[in-house]
Parts: sequence; structure tokens; C-alpha cells
Amino acid sequence: MVARFVDHWWCCILLLLILIGLSHDINSAETSQSVETIIHPAVNIHHISRNSLRGIFGMRQRAWPNGLPIRVFVLPDDAQLHNQFAKEKLNIFPYQLRSAWDRLIFSGTGQAPFLVNSEEEMRARVASTPGAIGYLKRVNIDDSVQILHIE
Amino acid sequence: MTVSKFFILNKLLTHNVRLFLLWGGAVWIVMHASLVNASEGKNLNILQIHGFLSQGYVNTLGSNNDVFGDSSRGRGSFDFREIGVNASYRPLTNLQFSGQLLSRQAGEDSKGGIRVDYGFVDYTAFTTETRELGIRLGRTKNPLGLYNDTRDVPFTRPSILLPQSIYFDRTRNLGLASDGAQFYGESREEWGDITVQFGVVFPQVGDRATEWAILNRDRLGHLTTRLSYIGRMIYERDGGRIRLGISGAQVNVGYDSAASLNDPLNEAGSFQFTPIIFSAQYNTERWSFTSEYALRHIMRKDFGSALGKVDTTGESFYFQGIYRFSPSWEAVLRYDVYFADRSDRDGSDFFAHIQQAAPQLAKHYPAYSRYAKDLTVGLRWNVTPSIMLRAEYHHVNGTGWLSQLDNRHPVRPDFPAFTDRHWNLFAFQASYRF
Repeated sequence: MVARFVDHWWCCILLLLILIGLSHDINSAETSQSVETIIHPAVNIHHISRNSLRGIFGMRQRAWPNGLPIRVFVLPDDAQLHNQFAKEKLNIFPYQLRSAWDRLIFSGTGQAPFLVNSEEEMRARVASTPGAIGYLKRVNIDDSVQILHIE
Repeated sequence: MTVSKFFILNKLLTHNVRLFLLWGGAVWIVMHASLVNASEGKNLNILQIHGFLSQGYVNTLGSNNDVFGDSSRGRGSFDFREIGVNASYRPLTNLQFSGQLLSRQAGEDSKGGIRVDYGFVDYTAFTTETRELGIRLGRTKNPLGLYNDTRDVPFTRPSILLPQSIYFDRTRNLGLASDGAQFYGESREEWGDITVQFGVVFPQVGDRATEWAILNRDRLGHLTTRLSYIGRMIYERDGGRIRLGISGAQVNVGYDSAASLNDPLNEAGSFQFTPIIFSAQYNTERWSFTSEYALRHIMRKDFGSALGKVDTTGESFYFQGIYRFSPSWEAVLRYDVYFADRSDRDGSDFFAHIQQAAPQLAKHYPAYSRYAKDLTVGLRWNVTPSIMLRAEYHHVNGTGWLSQLDNRHPVRPDFPAFTDRHWNLFAFQASYRF
């Protein structure tokens, strides 16, 4: 009797949590705008293979062909632009990036990308960090950073 | 100085030197890195600190089976916490120092002390745009299956309890991390990525749970670590859409007999654990399907008449599906099967043998203690990217992976308690990461 009551109680809580979670997701529905990969101008390449781009954002490839250390900048996991970048440019899903990073971070075999909280911060950090790579909406890109095309 | 005294001194020294190197190294890394950071500014932040914190609740009311504390009595058990902090420092693109401190409380098996989970230096000796080869020296996580490397980090697990048939928590320390050298290689090509790791290492055998698992209870002497081998190869296609892995190990353990106390166990006793694990995973936007299959050969011999020989092959597998309703909500469904001996899957031979040899002990060692079939359903809510709540329910047939230390007989603590064959487990966990 008591056990049954406890079970119902848990179900109610879970149902409530699901509703809260879903409403949150609906609110964050996107406005679609194209996304581009950006780099610090000193990196000095214009094209890259999708495979290399995945290696870089997967935090496995650590230096540019000219030897400069790669500094990866990303928006939070739940940012719409992050989601769009992962899917369109890397052809993978944000949860896969997160689990790949966590496998490196929590086994000591790699490091996490640098987190920025807005597109303005993304542009400022990539423009001021030699070896930096990140992404921005096309409309927000200016001369301080360079676009990297997938070949 | 007698030979035995010399050995004891030698052991103490090695132990202390090892600890000194680990802690000294960690302190040096943090101090040095903070100086570097201070001088070079925010942009070259090459020291990273991350960590996690979790509180769990386990309820097995309605049965006599305890998991992570007194979960079958009173209000269930809150005796399940995981806290970890790690630092990594990469002064050069091909050199990284990493260390993690872990405190895990999980019933009698993990008592919450702080320990070095891993601590090593990683040097990539050879790098091209698509390949690399390197070595890690120190204590590294054992590369086994898809989840072992980060098994104590709630965010990286598919559920609160990992599939116990393969990632059993009751003898976890043996498989957790080991000290030595690990060689690694990686290749990233259009047709897929391959990652290979191979370690020549000494496993960790110093804790009570491992002694119980190998020698059935606390003994007068203690287990000694011996040179062991461990390796894994993982193939990933399309950035991880398909992941296939094979991993294996040969873990060797010896015994230091307490001869002066008339230890009934022989010094010559040895234990060898040889698992091989096949892993497969398929990931889409909404679904992830995962399955792993393991054969585990166990050989225990030469301990003398007080502890019988064991030469069995266990078998484990699970099928798991994860469905993501949204980026923040997911559900998991899994069927997980464990057999202690694949030539005696229902445990009947084992039980018949006990009944014949020691009928008064038969109730302590039922046939169902030789297998476990666990059906799990669970929910995960990522409240924010750094806060996660989870709940899950297990319906289990058999007690094969139940902790021996959490389930000791109240009157005869050297023997297992009387357990229930069919049982349910409900668990809840809140986790935070940074």
C-alpha cells in the first residue's frame, strides 16, 4: 500500500518534470540562418576537409598544418547555433560532441574546448587568439575573422 | 637486515615514492600552470579544471537485497555519492599532464575516501594531420568497453547504474585504472577513425572488495599486483554514427601469505582474469542503440586445500536503446544478462556441488547467485548543460552481481546473506558538473 503510493508519487514528479522540459524546448525554437566556420587570420588556410574539421572540433587534432596550436571555441551545448553548426558543418549531433569531449576530459586523455556565452564573445575571442577556430552566423561575420570553407 | 625486512622496506619505499610523485607532480602542475596563465593572460588558458558531484538514492524495498548501502530497509539508501575533480595542463601541443581525484561512496564497496583516480603524463611522439602515436606514463584508466574509462562520471553513463554484467561495481577496482605505460595510436581517415590503446601495467588490488571478490572474504595475507596487459581498438565511422570496439585484458594477481599467522592460504596462489569485450553502437539524432558482449575467463589456483581452484568462463551481454525526446529529455531501455559460468548458466551444477560438499551452507549459495537478468527503464533530464536529474527502475532475476560486502550474513559475516531471487530496484540521482 505504502509502496504503491510512493510509486504514484514518483510518477507524478516525473510527469511534471517532462512537461517543464518540453515547454522549455518549444520556447527555444530556432530562426534559421546560415552558419560559417571562422578562424583567426594568422591560421592562413581557406579550405579544410570535413574529416579534419571533425577532428578539430572533436578535440583530437591539436595543431594547424603550420604548427600553430589549435584553440577551439564553442557556444553552450544548448545554444541553437551550436546545434546548427554541429549538424550542418560537422554532420554530427551535439550530444555526440559532448560525449566525445567528456570521454577526453574525464579520462585525462584530452581537453575541453573553450566556452563562450554569446556570438559577440565568440567573434572577439577568435579574432584575438592566434590559432583560434569557432563559428558564427554569416550576418555576424566581419573582417576581424576569416571564413573557413569545407572542401 | 633479513631478506623479508628488506622487501617490506622496499615496498614501503616504492609506495611512498609513487604517492610522492603523484601528489608532487599534481602540485607542481597546478602551481606552474597558474604562473603561466597569470603571465600570458586569458587567451592561452592551457590549464583546465573540471569536476562533478552527485547524490544518489537507491531503493530495493520489498526484497532482502542491498545495493549501495541499506537500500532494502527503512527509507532506502542515500549512501551513494560521487565527487571528482580533475586538472589537465597542456604546455605544448604534444604534451599533457592530467590527474583526477575521486571520492566515491557506494555502500560497503567504496567508502568515500579520496584517491588518485588517474595521474599521468601524455606525450604524443609522432603527429600528422590524420595520424598520431604516443605514450602515457603513470596511472591511466583501463580502456575496456565503451564506458569503463569514465564510469564514475554520471554524465557519461547511459543510466545511474552501468550495465552490471560487464561493468560490475562489486569488483570495480581491479578493472578501474592501473599503473604503468600505455601506448596509443590514432588514425582519422575518410573511411573512419581508428583508436588503439595498449597498456603494460600493474592493476590496483589493495582494497577489501577486491580481496572478497577473489578470495571470498577477508584473509590473513593480502593480494599483490603483478604485471598485466590491457588493450582496446575502437573504429568510428561518420564522426561516431557507428562505433565498433574490441577490448581485452590479462589481469594478474598474486598473494602474499601471512606465514607467521599460520595463514591457511599458500603464497603460491595466483589469480588471473582474462576478459574480452565486443562493443557496438549506432547513433542517430533521436536514437542510440548499444550492445556489448563479454567473455570473462577466471583462473584461481595454487592457494592450497583451504581455497579451491576456479577455472570458469563467465558470459555477459546487454542490449540498450536510448531515445531523445528533445535535447534535454531522454529515456533508456536495457536488457542486461550476466552468467558467472557459461557452462552452468542456471547455477544448478554449482548448487549441487555446494549441497554435496557443505549442505549447511547451501542457503548462502543459491543457484540464482550465479546469474542475473536485469530489465531497466530510465529517464534523464538535462536541466541545464551542467545539471542532470535521473530516475530508473530495474527488475532483476538473480543476484549474480549483487555486492558481497553489502550482503553479508548478519550472524555469519564471512558468508553471504539470504537474498531474494526476484527483486526490484528504484534509483534516483542528481548530478552537477563544471
